[in-house]
Amino acid sequence: MSESQASWVYSDLVKEHFLSPRNFLMGDEANFPHDTSGTVGNPICGDQMTMYLQIKDNKIVDVRWKTYGCASAIASTSALSELVKGRSLDEALQIGPAEITEFLGGLPKHKFHCSVLGHEALAAAVKAYRAK
Amino acid sequence: MASENLAAALEDSTRQGRVYLDYAATSPLLPCVEQRMVNVLHELGTGVLGNASALHSPGHLAHEILEHARASVARLIGAEPDEIIFTSGGSEANNTVTNIFAGQTQIVSAIEHPSLLESARQRSGKLGVLPVDEKGRVKIRETKLTKPQLVSVMLANNELGTIEPIEELRRHFPSACIHSDATQAFGKLKINVKDLGVDYLNISAHKIGGPAGIGALYVRRGAPYHPFIVGGHQEQKRRAGTSNPLLAAGFGAAADWAWDNWSCRRFVSVANLRNLLASRILREIAHSSINGFEQCIYDKENQSYNTLPNILNASFQAAEGESIQLYLDATGIAVSTGSACAAGDTKPSHVLMATTGDAEVAHSSIRFSLGLDTTKDDIDRVMQVLPSIVQYLQSISTIKIGEASK
Repeated sequence: MSESQASWVYSDLVKEHFLSPRNFLMGDEANFPHDTSGTVGNPICGDQMTMYLQIKDNKIVDVRWKTYGCASAIASTSALSELVKGRSLDEALQIGPAEITEFLGGLPKHKFHCSVLGHEALAAAVKAYRAK
Repeated sequence: MASENLAAALEDSTRQGRVYLDYAATSPLLPCVEQRMVNVLHELGTGVLGNASALHSPGHLAHEILEHARASVARLIGAEPDEIIFTSGGSEANNTVTNIFAGQTQIVSAIEHPSLLESARQRSGKLGVLPVDEKGRVKIRETKLTKPQLVSVMLANNELGTIEPIEELRRHFPSACIHSDATQAFGKLKINVKDLGVDYLNISAHKIGGPAGIGALYVRRGAPYHPFIVGGHQEQKRRAGTSNPLLAAGFGAAADWAWDNWSCRRFVSVANLRNLLASRILREIAHSSINGFEQCIYDKENQSYNTLPNILNASFQAAEGESIQLYLDATGIAVSTGSACAAGDTKPSHVLMATTGDAEVAHSSIRFSLGLDTTKDDIDRVMQVLPSIVQYLQSISTIKIGEASK
């Protein structure tokens, strides 16, 4: 990625995940029966997201999410939801910002925090599940 | 695609070409400006034009182009040519003015452009910041600072379009120098520096169909001045740096066009489209609100408006501004947002924070800015997709409508 792209422009993959996000939860969260959920961020900072997980035998069998945030927040949550499906909880927790960013073909520099947010939401959901 | 309704609306809209509703950011070159600039460019290319400071004939020709443009710009705002300093634009002019009063007491409004706010913070001795009401009108009396040397309030706000009471400011601070950043008001409101009673006022060419990269700072004869950029005799020793006859010619042509064709009334049709967009948003999009004045009203008698006729700022609860902006862009519609994300910043619009105190309203805001070329079709195009975009973003949002955090 060139310097000018790195500073501002979204990759085609980010745009694709933004315009056609995967696994989002539309409307009421009751629409997706889940075993746990985790929320991070704050609307005051402009980004907030929740991950909802269906878990069976310590494996994430299905996932949905909700986001209030910018294009890269939506795209990185969408990317994360694709990455965690079918993985064990421990494996899923290994997915960090670097892997999400790489999956999306890079994010503009000032947007890295958005992908960190997705990872933290997942960690919060797993933590809540294990605390049960 | 996000949802079937939205997908269909986006696809349909994308086929219909581009809609530009970001005139407040920059406006397309007027054809007469382009023609004038091409002519000057040709003369530059053939070597007929020299450095405007040089004594030879090519230099003299460049000098003439520059001075002709200066006279055109001066005429448009009721100034004398020698009261006009060409600058690179609004940011340089704002920096120049706050720098004149370095170390002294300055009062500014909370909703000034960042170039004014930041430079005033860095250079003033004491700084007073005037708060604004919920519509963005400055509260002139709310400062404890007495005897400021400089009071700086913009003529109209770039995000909301709210017009500030400069004449009243003049009366309230009789012994201060008054500066007004008229970048957004330029070309939309009648501006006369003598009637306003200002000592300094700045404008930018690219807001009225001229080229970006050139603006002007009006300095009243006799007002305190010292240059911000030093080391050259250009602009009567008031701004160092080789003059730019190409940009100046474009600026002058835009000013001439405005002089010949412009009237406050011309923008009544723009105001009507702006008002139509405002009412349709409120009627057709749930949980939307207008920031600033809901309706723009033309005062025939005084040939003025209650708010700029071309700017509309709206917020959409639970839907984030950058996402709305990029969904609109995907359908060929260009607007801007007060969301922090879009500006590459950590804080949302300081203007909306000053008027609403609500970060979510600021993050969820969209500014539509219209031009004389905007049509009812453009407004229809926006309303063809905006309701589904907002509804979709609201439905995947973590914020539950009605429970928004304050």
